[in-house]
Amino acid sequence: MSATFTKSMARNVFYGGGVFFFLLFIALTFDTMQALPKRDNSQNITPAVAHGKKLWEVNNCIGCHTLLGEGAYFAPELGNVYKRRGPDFIKAWIKGQPTNVPGRRQMPQFNLSDADIDDVIAFLKYASEINTNKWPPNIEG
Amino acid sequence: MDAQSVKIGSADIAVTARADFQKNHQKDLPGDFALWIFIFAEMLVFGVLFVAYAFTRANNVALFNESQLTLSRTSGAINTLVLITSSYFVVRGVDAIKRGLSSQCAHWLTGALLLGGVFISIKIVEFHAKFAAGITMSSNAFYMFYLSLTFFHLMHVLMGMVILASIIVKARRGGYSAQNHTGVETGASFWHMVDFLWIILFPLIYIIR
Amino acid sequence: MKYKSQAVAKLYFIAAIGLFLGQILFGLIMGLQYVVGDFLFPAIPFNVARMVHTNLLIVWLLFGFMGASYYLIPEESETELFSPKLAVITFWVFLAAGALTILGYLLVPYASLAKWTGNDLLNTMGREFLEQPLPTKVGIVAVALSWLFNITMTMLKGRKTAISLVLSLGMLGLAGFFLFSFYDPVNLVKDKYYWWWVVHLWVEGVWELILGAMLAFVLIKVTGVDREVVEKWLYVIITMTLVTGIIGTGHHYYWIGAPAYWQWWGSIFSALEPIPFFMMTVFAFNMVNKRRREHPNKAAVLWALGTSVMAFLGAGLWGFLHTLAPINYYAHGTQLTAAHGHLAFFGAYALVVLTMISYAMPILRGRAANPERAQIMEMWSFWLMTVSMFFITLFLTGAGIVQIWLQRISSTPMSFMAVQDQLSIFYWAREGAGVVFLIGLLLYISSFFVKGESHAFE
Repeated sequence: MSATFTKSMARNVFYGGGVFFFLLFIALTFDTMQALPKRDNSQNITPAVAHGKKLWEVNNCIGCHTLLGEGAYFAPELGNVYKRRGPDFIKAWIKGQPTNVPGRRQMPQFNLSDADIDDVIAFLKYASEINTNKWPPNIEG
Repeated sequence: MDAQSVKIGSADIAVTARADFQKNHQKDLPGDFALWIFIFAEMLVFGVLFVAYAFTRANNVALFNESQLTLSRTSGAINTLVLITSSYFVVRGVDAIKRGLSSQCAHWLTGALLLGGVFISIKIVEFHAKFAAGITMSSNAFYMFYLSLTFFHLMHVLMGMVILASIIVKARRGGYSAQNHTGVETGASFWHMVDFLWIILFPLIYIIR
Repeated sequence: MKYKSQAVAKLYFIAAIGLFLGQILFGLIMGLQYVVGDFLFPAIPFNVARMVHTNLLIVWLLFGFMGASYYLIPEESETELFSPKLAVITFWVFLAAGALTILGYLLVPYASLAKWTGNDLLNTMGREFLEQPLPTKVGIVAVALSWLFNITMTMLKGRKTAISLVLSLGMLGLAGFFLFSFYDPVNLVKDKYYWWWVVHLWVEGVWELILGAMLAFVLIKVTGVDREVVEKWLYVIITMTLVTGIIGTGHHYYWIGAPAYWQWWGSIFSALEPIPFFMMTVFAFNMVNKRRREHPNKAAVLWALGTSVMAFLGAGLWGFLHTLAPINYYAHGTQLTAAHGHLAFFGAYALVVLTMISYAMPILRGRAANPERAQIMEMWSFWLMTVSMFFITLFLTGAGIVQIWLQRISSTPMSFMAVQDQLSIFYWAREGAGVVFLIGLLLYISSFFVKGESHAFE
């Protein structure tokens, strides 16, 4: 056969391959969305959880912590902190910041009301009950 | 476990790709060599999936055997015959164009294209029955592999049909000749790969227990 | 330069380098906060420094991509840019928006910034890398569309090459996938699922098209190898990128609540993700070996080869290291991820922008290549930055492995903060390597001011 790997051929393979795998990705995404309700704990999303998530976001918690392993690796994983520490500890901890221990990593004081902190805790409780395929490996996150 | 093989495989592909650009032609493989790079890559992916299936099955033999009984062997067997016949049609199509017979080539390939359509129709009926029974990729490990592999393969059949269709259109316009028919051979190679993968996939998932 | 309108690229390149310097300074602040926890607290808490560090990175790379395309597209299309004026306006809009955003991060508590910028209307803020206030996000879309419009109109009136086609497809994807940053559902799993459509499909998808196009352009210019050959390679490489990278997104779906089958799909396809990077390395060295001329800009050749190697190491190898689900189970969200992130972003994207700047900037300043002495400084800066970044990666990898062991594998797992105390030696070493990186960057910047006899055009 002749050497005919033309550029237009290469281009067609590129378009074909790109479209093919994007469609496959869409199909898998569709299946994932169907499967999520059994896994994502969305039945427990309450207004408190929604407000807690918003507080989580507008205080940029992800800028230091990780949540289900994603975030900044500078401070502890919080996806399972509800199970690790419990609500009372979390509340006291958030209120007690910063520790001002010289040389230690410092968490800012966000001046949240008691109700706000309860909502943050509700969000962390919701997050801790998502089916994450048994991640993290142990309670330390 | 197959990490190592994947890694080595990837290097091989890149090296072959380089060899291709240096030599720029290949005697022993029909069709375009660039497509063979992708065919090798595809075989690699399917190969890894098949090995993964075998390993997972080894750990869940009872579950796999039990779930396997729910599959329709008849539709699988019919589809095997359909694809083998279509491959034969494609062979005849390539043979025709080698003798310069464009419209005969187009006819054979159209036959293959229609058989591709039959394959997909049967598959859709089969999938529909499974979905109606509430079976999804998350049901269990067997169904995960069954649906992943057959759906991934189904998309390849669709892709092959798009390629065949574009070749048919070009052949009808007289775009190929006895001297210049790399495009037909390339498309044929892809179609045979799709057929070949099914011939492995069918016994592996539907029959072997 | 061949076309007057290419001159707008200069603005973009200067801004890119300036912001790059800012990124590194904040990186050093964070690096120090890893070991001296209360450094600059409460003036610049870690989360603020990190936001500035990562956002500056994204913005300077975008400036680099835009500058590169305003330089490259007229030359590829063999016509003047559709509207240089629009390109200049876009530049100032983007720079102003970027500067205001960074100042907002630094001067205002994040929660107040969110309140003032309409986060209550449509909440999009507070997610990693997508911290920008709503107006900034809208601005990014507007800037990307203006960029895309200008480039497309230029291409339409001129020659259409594979390089410009791939570049514009990459830009289209960049603009398109960014739209997912406006989707922030309460359902955390969906939030994370589509968050990756911006982050992963950018850096392991469409950005690689831009990377490939830029590298191909520079290689054609400095080696004189036939365009047909280069463009065929380009297509094959980016095909493999999309084939592996799109489903490879699955390697982020193992532990965030998505179905378990992603462990298979993600592991298999992302294990193949090094292929396109390896091909890129082979390609770059092949082209340089087969060069038909000796381009006087030797520094640009070094940057181009460096890009191909470091992209393979950072994105390919370090990515592969922890991409398989059984390994990722232990490695997910540790310093190993940070190690990969640093080398991948530097090796693939920072270096390709610097390659483009190294090639184009002398021409924009009216000469084929910089004076020898400037080039030597530039090459020194390449080695300083590349080697120090490699060491940053090695130290973080060491930290990551120890962290995984103490916190996740050991039969008596230690708490996160207790483990961090154990890692301080790695963090100190990383900070040291970071200082060397800064020296390399300063050397790089000073190479622009070296006077001497420069290479005229042939």
